[in-house]
Amino acid sequence: MKGGALVFLATFIALGSSWCGFVLAPELQLGTAKQTTVLNSSDAYPVQRTGDATLGLQVYRASGCAACHTEQVQQDGVACDVVLTGAGKNLAAVSNLVSTLKLNGLTKDEADVASQKISVAGGKVETHIVATGADISRGWGLRCSVTEDFLYDYPMPLGSLRVGPDLANVGARLPDANWQLLHLYAPQSVAKGSMMPPFRYLFETRKIGNASSPDALQLPKELAPPAGYEVMPTDEAKELVAYLLSLRIDVPLYDAPFTPRAFTSKK
Amino acid sequence: MIVNEISPDQLSTGKIDASCRVPLLALFGGAALWLVVGLLLALIASLNFHMPEKFANCPLLTYGRVQPAANDAIIYGFAIPAALGVLLWIFARLSQTELVLPLVPIVAANIWHLGVFVGIVGILIGDSTGYAWLEFPRGGSVLLFAAFLLIAISAVATFGQRKERELYPSHWFLLAALLWFPWIYSTANLFLVAWPVRGVAQAVISWWFVDNLIFVWLALVGIGTAFYFLPKLAGRPLQSHYFALFAFWTLILFSTWCGIPQGAPVPAWLPALSSVASALTIVPLIAIAVILVKTVCGANVSCKGGPFCYLKFGTTAFILSGLMLIASACPQISCVTEFTWFGPAQTQLQILGFFAIVMFGAIYELLPRVMGFELPFPKFVRLQHWLFMLGTVLLVASLAIGGIEQGLKLQNVGIAFLDVTQATLPFLRASTLGLLFLLLGSLLFAANIFVMTFKWKLALFKSVIAAVKAPLETAEVKS
Amino acid sequence: MNEESKSNSCQRPEGEPAATRSTVPMWIVSLTLVLLYLGAVYFDHHGGWFNAQVYAPYSSAEELDAYQPKSGAAAMMSRGKQVYEQVCGLCHGNDGLGKPGQAPPLAGSEWVNAKGIQRLAHIPLSGLNGSLQVEGKDWNMSMAPMGAALSDADLAAVLSYIRSSWGNKGDAVTADQIKAVRASIGSHPVPMGGEQMMKMPE
Repeated sequence: MKGGALVFLATFIALGSSWCGFVLAPELQLGTAKQTTVLNSSDAYPVQRTGDATLGLQVYRASGCAACHTEQVQQDGVACDVVLTGAGKNLAAVSNLVSTLKLNGLTKDEADVASQKISVAGGKVETHIVATGADISRGWGLRCSVTEDFLYDYPMPLGSLRVGPDLANVGARLPDANWQLLHLYAPQSVAKGSMMPPFRYLFETRKIGNASSPDALQLPKELAPPAGYEVMPTDEAKELVAYLLSLRIDVPLYDAPFTPRAFTSKK
Repeated sequence: MIVNEISPDQLSTGKIDASCRVPLLALFGGAALWLVVGLLLALIASLNFHMPEKFANCPLLTYGRVQPAANDAIIYGFAIPAALGVLLWIFARLSQTELVLPLVPIVAANIWHLGVFVGIVGILIGDSTGYAWLEFPRGGSVLLFAAFLLIAISAVATFGQRKERELYPSHWFLLAALLWFPWIYSTANLFLVAWPVRGVAQAVISWWFVDNLIFVWLALVGIGTAFYFLPKLAGRPLQSHYFALFAFWTLILFSTWCGIPQGAPVPAWLPALSSVASALTIVPLIAIAVILVKTVCGANVSCKGGPFCYLKFGTTAFILSGLMLIASACPQISCVTEFTWFGPAQTQLQILGFFAIVMFGAIYELLPRVMGFELPFPKFVRLQHWLFMLGTVLLVASLAIGGIEQGLKLQNVGIAFLDVTQATLPFLRASTLGLLFLLLGSLLFAANIFVMTFKWKLALFKSVIAAVKAPLETAEVKS
Repeated sequence: MNEESKSNSCQRPEGEPAATRSTVPMWIVSLTLVLLYLGAVYFDHHGGWFNAQVYAPYSSAEELDAYQPKSGAAAMMSRGKQVYEQVCGLCHGNDGLGKPGQAPPLAGSEWVNAKGIQRLAHIPLSGLNGSLQVEGKDWNMSMAPMGAALSDADLAAVLSYIRSSWGNKGDAVTADQIKAVRASIGSHPVPMGGEQMMKMPE
């Protein structure tokens, strides 16, 4: 090519095209996203985090938690389960079908065929939608993360490395504030084999006043402070824990549907 | 250095080189220092995994602050200033004119290094922006942007003064780089830090920025540099002009779209576009590989552990890192490698294995010419070459293999997460060792640069003293 | 142009590099075109055609629509939750743990988790009056027939909701079952006590 002007033009076209595609278009499509509703309900989603949780996100940012933790659940697929809700009159035929047909982990078409067969035999069925994937099986969430989950977050703490487990649903999975504080103070005491460094600078050891404070950490013997002292979480620690407890990804949305069940806590 | 017959060509080349002297020293001196600092911070970050208790009480040394600080120190403190220094020299040489406005890069270099300092301190005290590779707080990033523009002005002015109007392939790559960085850096800072966009659009812009900085920008400068130095060192012409043009066009058109990871919490069209773009990136990768192999193959270069070896290793690392990038964009592979150490392995291979080594080769080749005297420790060049090769292989291979194993285990729900993490520890230990070798290598580089700067300053000082003393002597003689 | 500097270091070539003028080989251009075509096909299958609601693993808006839980289950659960929180939660608590002196817990309650729904459905439809054992504790209070005003579908939704929340593991209740219980109660429901309830079939 002759001339710097041509090089400039080529560069402008190339970078301009990707700028339009990955900066302008997402801003127009995703940057204007609004609140949506939970699937089959009128509840708004997402709800703004409380004040402490919003401050906690800044503590999360300042401590660089996103260097080791992600906050995005991935879903590898979706499956249908056909569930019998009523046996109807023809018990023998229906129970025969139920025991012979494959009723779990089906595609939509297969599920339709199976439910058709059972309905014809007189049984009543429902098709439940289930998200599948390694993340889901590990109990890290009930569906994949979508745009609406991060609507009010600044900066977005997505993370890109899982040295520690994914935190998108940690508020539902580990809802105990005391456990979270203890985990921040001494990770290896509650999670054996964890590589997480202790975040002792988020706590202060101080002399017990007239009586020990209700907020003081209940530590096991080998970590307890010397007699007459107690370990107190600082405001930052409390805000961080409030933020962590606000992280949930357990409601179905149109973008990521599933049939809700009461969530049982798994590690 | 004994010089018997100085041709007019050599004389003017000598003047061109001399005009670059102070700007390049300002850029390279800071770069060498930041490389040492960055690798030291990376070592501390890596040690956090083996000795988590050691840094528990100090918020400045927590992993989440030290790791981003290390990354940013290496890319903004070392990689970009080194790139700009090499770029200025190549432009001056290809234009066959002295560096235009030489004072501007000197001032800009100092502003740049101040900006990096402000940024690193900001990250360590908890002021980071929270975006990967963009953690510098506002003050730092404004200084960096201003400094880059100033250096770009000088570079473009030098380019404008060129005697030969036809462009050499390196020109395209380096000119593109001069426009690329200000655009992506300003976009990222405006849309993420100054007036942040809402929600997940932040993540998309962040991924776009990271791909364009780490893969595209470093590739532009590194390959542009390699296309200049390898033919020169091999004594053969580049094969060929039009093929390099094709490689340039396909690189800037396709690889700029590669950033979005698979399975990201964004609508499916974004990762799908990135997948397609990554598959297409194989084309410039093949093109560059073929060009370099054809140019270098059969050349008879005897230098062991010298700039030629650096450039060969660096460009090989680039091809490998590109292949890793393409692999991790394949949906079947990304479900294993995503969120594992494979990603950092590819990034480190690109920055340290490819770019840093190409820069070392270039700097060791041009610095003796610019300074007018040989390197103070020529043996260090070969030693550093071995240290960097060993360190890079250890670091990248251990993280990549560890990452793949981590990914396979994470897919298996039966294995508890803590067991998966524990299983990566041996690989992390190997990577820490690799970082140690790299740190030692960077100290050797810094030694060469600093002693060279010191010797030059000493010579300058002596000549100033001599100039001051000289009139006195004649006066004494007279009287 | 290739002056060798007489130093003891490596040969330092002078002169600027040049490039040959051979053309771009055809195979790489064809490779690019083939990859562009394959990329377009891939995007067609996986890109969701720029739709903002289609996320991986869904590949199109139609597929996403097909997988929406149109059947009663999800709708029922959220409707059940809604109605529960409006009508029952005030006394039994939104967490199902009950309030001492006010209402017994529903979480883990044997009445809620029973296999049959006869006894359970009677409680909101006819009310309670008298002593009742729940999880080993005695509750001697009265409850108005809070479910009498609800439709069959709504009451079925509420009962399904409490039977699968807070660790309870009961099956869903259908509107038809509620209709049958309502018919058996008739138009004048009489609040029952624990003993009377136990006499009923499950």
